[in-house]
Amino acid sequence: MLNAPEPSPTGRTVVTVLVAVVALILQVSVANRLPLPGGVIPDLVLLTVVALALVNGSMTGMVAGFCAGLAADIIPPADHTIGRYALVYCLIGYVCGLASAEMNRQSLVPFLAVAVGALAGTVLYAVTGMMLGDPRASWAIVSRAVPLQVLYDVIASPFVVWAILRVHRRYERGDRKDRFSLPVARYRAMSGRGTRL
Amino acid sequence: MNDTRRSRVVLGALLGAALLMITIDYRGGADSPLRALRSVGATVFGPVERASAAVVRPVGNTFDAITDAPDQRRRAEHLARENQRLREQLRANRLNQSRADQLDRLLGTAGVGGYRIRAAQVISAGQGLEDTVTIDIGSRDGVRRDMTVIAAEGLVGRVTRVGPATATVLLATDVTSTVGARLEDSKEIGIVQGRGRRGLGGGGQTPLRYQLLDADAPMRVGQRLVTLGSQGERPYVPGVPIGVVERIDRPVGGLTRTAYVRPFARFTSLDVVAVVVEPPKKDPRDSVLPPSPKPSVTPSASPSARPDDKKDDKDEKDDKDADRRKPSARPSTGD
Repeated sequence: MLNAPEPSPTGRTVVTVLVAVVALILQVSVANRLPLPGGVIPDLVLLTVVALALVNGSMTGMVAGFCAGLAADIIPPADHTIGRYALVYCLIGYVCGLASAEMNRQSLVPFLAVAVGALAGTVLYAVTGMMLGDPRASWAIVSRAVPLQVLYDVIASPFVVWAILRVHRRYERGDRKDRFSLPVARYRAMSGRGTRL
Repeated sequence: MNDTRRSRVVLGALLGAALLMITIDYRGGADSPLRALRSVGATVFGPVERASAAVVRPVGNTFDAITDAPDQRRRAEHLARENQRLREQLRANRLNQSRADQLDRLLGTAGVGGYRIRAAQVISAGQGLEDTVTIDIGSRDGVRRDMTVIAAEGLVGRVTRVGPATATVLLATDVTSTVGARLEDSKEIGIVQGRGRRGLGGGGQTPLRYQLLDADAPMRVGQRLVTLGSQGERPYVPGVPIGVVERIDRPVGGLTRTAYVRPFARFTSLDVVAVVVEPPKKDPRDSVLPPSPKPSVTPSASPSARPDDKKDDKDEKDDKDADRRKPSARPSTGD
């Protein structure tokens, strides 16, 4: 695993929790109120979970996914069966965490992972709705909303991923001297090299 | 790979927990044992949402003002530039004023209908496929489940869940929302259903679908709808304007006839709304509807852009415009 030697796990946990909470609040009180064409909104919480998983590995990914999902299930305007987002985000966090091991080798991985995570997350959420007979997840609506939602997610993903990497890097920099041994720094170096190629 | 095994165990446990919660909550329905969790959510996140809404509202308003009319971008750009100049001078002032204006009209509407209302602000909106919003008043302010929520222009939805300081509103555009409705000037009743995705589902203009129960009853484009009123005035009080019939489907041998309705309220940019805490003493019939002779009341006119053009105090045209937007200012005649 990339994140093997941790200087202070508590600090990292606090940062992770803070990031997730901020993403959730931004999602409901800012993003969801934007009148974007098509009536769908990029899922910032999903993108946050994907980014956290990519940076910290699958363990953090799935725990953060589960907790963020549960919070998204109970935050006030939510009106769906409790546990749906928890299930979906937990799975996505785990799968994207597995991809974090690949980040060393491939500079395209983060972008691919975000796109795949967005697609899988949106589809999975719609599928759970269909299985539960939720009228909001009827085929007519889902078939129109999901492609657009994935597109929006992919468009929004670089900003979210960038913001989270930045937060983590700032935290790490304050904490450790040797930041080039860190997954974040490595990822940044790799992606920098990737763009130059 | 000890780590992998451990993480698989944790994954299994978490997924199991999620599935268990889904099952319990789904089987439990409205009285699910997990609704305590939701109250925790409302108690914890409600105040946070209120605070964050207070911070982000000016930003959102600015954004709204610019993106509201993508089809009229050029005009919007011109106006936005002009607005920008004024906005710098008057920002705080203007926001308060526009809100006061909305409140004013809201009170007018409530006054005509005889509703007792409690004004509220939308502080957040639902995620994914659901059309729900949170408002900044809750059980402490006398809000209960199944109360009607209106905006100055017309029906918004109903309260589905109440926290101490916040409440969740199911919008009329949500797929799971059904409202009993009546055509103006007639007794023909039917059901208004949402088509989902915050009013932008189903092609944008007509986020509501009206099913007339009597397939032979006369119905024409341009007719307006008001709420029928539910049993015991809950969840919907009678007489609240809903929208205008925009398009009627040719009957194909069904038992009901379907029309598509353009709502009066602007579901894409809800800001000031009101909860009807006390229903009217008697059915206001059609009296709350805006005055009838109107070529096109455009509900797309954004409420946030209001106070500026009012100061322009030009001529009659402006006055008439203002009047049209303030239907409740006149002692409206039941048409």
